[in-house]
Amino acid sequence: MIREVAWRVFAGEYNDSSYVYTEGGERAPSYVVTPLGARINRLLVVGVITEVENIATEEEPMWRARLEDSTGTFYISAGQYQPEAAQQLAKLEPPVFAAVMGKSRVYSPEEGTIYVSIRPEMVTKVSEDLRDFWVLEACKNLRERITAMKEAQQMDPLTKEGLIALGYKERLADGIVRAKQHYLDLEVDKYSGMLIDALRYLLPEFREQADVKEETVDEEKEDKETDVLKLIESLDKNGKGASWEDILKGAKKAGIKKDELEEIANELLDKGLVYEPVLGRMKKI
Amino acid sequence: MDREQIAPHVEDIKRALDDKVSEDQIAGELENYLNVYRVPLDSAKRSIVRKYGGNPAGLQVGVQKKLAELAPNEPSVSLLARVVSVNPKEIQVNGNAKNILYGILGDDTATVPFTAWEVENLEMEKGDTVRVENAYTKEYRGQVQINFGNRTTISPESPEAVPPFTPGPATVRPAKVADLREGFGGVSMTVRILSLEEREVMVEGNKKMVYSGVMADETGKAQFTAWKDYGLKEGDVLKIEGGYIRTWRGIPQLNFDERAEVNIVDEDFPSMDDLKTSPRIWIEDLIERGGAVDTTVRGILVDVKEGSGLIYRCPECRRVLRKNACRIHGEVEGEADLRIKAVIDDGSGAITAIFGRELTEKFLNKSMDVCIDMAKEAMTHEVVRDDLADMLIAQPIEVQGNVTRDDFGIMMIVNSAEVLKIEVEKEAREMLDDLEGLT
Repeated sequence: MIREVAWRVFAGEYNDSSYVYTEGGERAPSYVVTPLGARINRLLVVGVITEVENIATEEEPMWRARLEDSTGTFYISAGQYQPEAAQQLAKLEPPVFAAVMGKSRVYSPEEGTIYVSIRPEMVTKVSEDLRDFWVLEACKNLRERITAMKEAQQMDPLTKEGLIALGYKERLADGIVRAKQHYLDLEVDKYSGMLIDALRYLLPEFREQADVKEETVDEEKEDKETDVLKLIESLDKNGKGASWEDILKGAKKAGIKKDELEEIANELLDKGLVYEPVLGRMKKI
Repeated sequence: MDREQIAPHVEDIKRALDDKVSEDQIAGELENYLNVYRVPLDSAKRSIVRKYGGNPAGLQVGVQKKLAELAPNEPSVSLLARVVSVNPKEIQVNGNAKNILYGILGDDTATVPFTAWEVENLEMEKGDTVRVENAYTKEYRGQVQINFGNRTTISPESPEAVPPFTPGPATVRPAKVADLREGFGGVSMTVRILSLEEREVMVEGNKKMVYSGVMADETGKAQFTAWKDYGLKEGDVLKIEGGYIRTWRGIPQLNFDERAEVNIVDEDFPSMDDLKTSPRIWIEDLIERGGAVDTTVRGILVDVKEGSGLIYRCPECRRVLRKNACRIHGEVEGEADLRIKAVIDDGSGAITAIFGRELTEKFLNKSMDVCIDMAKEAMTHEVVRDDLADMLIAQPIEVQGNVTRDDFGIMMIVNSAEVLKIEVEKEAREMLDDLEGLT
């Protein structure tokens, strides 16, 4: 059996995935397909580990970690079946640059909703230089997928063979066709923006600007953040955090749409005002 | 397969089971194996016989194949072929002399070497057309070999039963080195010879000089063998029409002989120096190609596998010892060695890379003797592997060497290696300019 490749993919794209499939048969590998057609069984990500926490017992630990890249957060969890990775995770002292290679995992609390995470096989501390190297690789691969997806949108009918004839490898062509069928309202431009931001992230002349942008927050957004934070606190009745479904309902009543809510929730997570004790639940810190 | 096609096989299974199981039941089973589980016919039949308590050796109707379709390690094959050559040979088995026959079988698709281990009552002559039942295949040096054992039956057939062998397809296949794949015939290509050596081989009992070496074009390098003296020299640019490809451990090699048109040409072609550089190849392409000579791969080293670091080898056979014992020679006094078995992933695929002692010492910046002392002090060899893992995992690395393939994927024996310096700004700026130029 040929070893599965480790995809370099940004959190912003990986976390947008809502499609997973398994090739028939026992022990067949399963794949998370991103909106741009990355068909991921294994991935290699590099970024900043901002949190590491044992959410189970001392004897049978289950380590959870968050790894941030410039586009979002990867959720990582390792238990007794990943002893080496768990040990490595436990040793890290956040914040720290780290590389994580692992298998794609999905958690689906209800039909139609999936959360993706990483079950690590390898975790290691790295240099900032390596992080930059990874970002560049991820950019190159993202660019290829954006181009392929744009071509795919022009093709009628869209076939794997057609994409291969354009010079794409089977691996990507297959993923693109699957993604195109599943993600009906795909906005490729969102990812083009992500690509440009990620490239700027690597260039010193853009670094300062990025800092300035963060300081000028618009007030309306700040108000909504406060509202959502209060909502999360009020929904957390048993101390285990508020479920995403409840937050979604509450936000809808307050006139906040799903997209906006996701953005706000990410903002709150980034600011460290809330965290996810388990996937799909949020708790105020 | 439909009922009519499988009928002889159902019959065969029934006979092997001494008529204890009904034809319908067997047919149902066989269809299930073939059509639902897609098990190859041959192993489906054997599985069914075993399932009902019979002995698969009782099966007589093998799966008839063309020679080009044969795979290694098939336990029972049937063939219709012409004897291209046959020679007697005396070998030693457990100290006793034994007569065997060896030679070559051919049909319209290929020629394959064979060995007959039981020669009593076996009459085969060059040019005969034969039906072979219940032969088995093995692999030797990457090539399929047919074996006739004591269950094999050979019967004469009329010469018309096998269409004549046509060397290569009628159409010429123009190719670059990177396009070469196992089984290609009629290959037409222009290459420069980078190195050349003569060697003597035995062909049908006669000595023969062959000329082999490494050739290249702008897409890569490959080995070649010329089965005739063309007066070749290093640096010659050759135009070959009608070559054919054989692979060794997944590496495609070009062969050409008197059936091919070979000319030394004087045309514009990349220089020796340009061709000697080792081109960088995506691992995905190497997997598809199977193997390659002198290739460069660039990726991130993601694993230092078990069996890396300080190891001990059997002094007899160089196998790595486990718990101080060799798989073949039992408990022996091992000889220390250093190596790394790593996995390198470049985002398109993954390859196993083996680094020998010299490179391992270079990475560790320690001699093997120092490693042995380290291991003694720590009371485990694993310290060396741990050191290597700390040093190498998640490092971007460039490795160069030959790539071969086996059942577990592709593997490079690393010739030279270098941890890459990371310079991202320039590339990032270029890509950004490129993208913003579009908007």
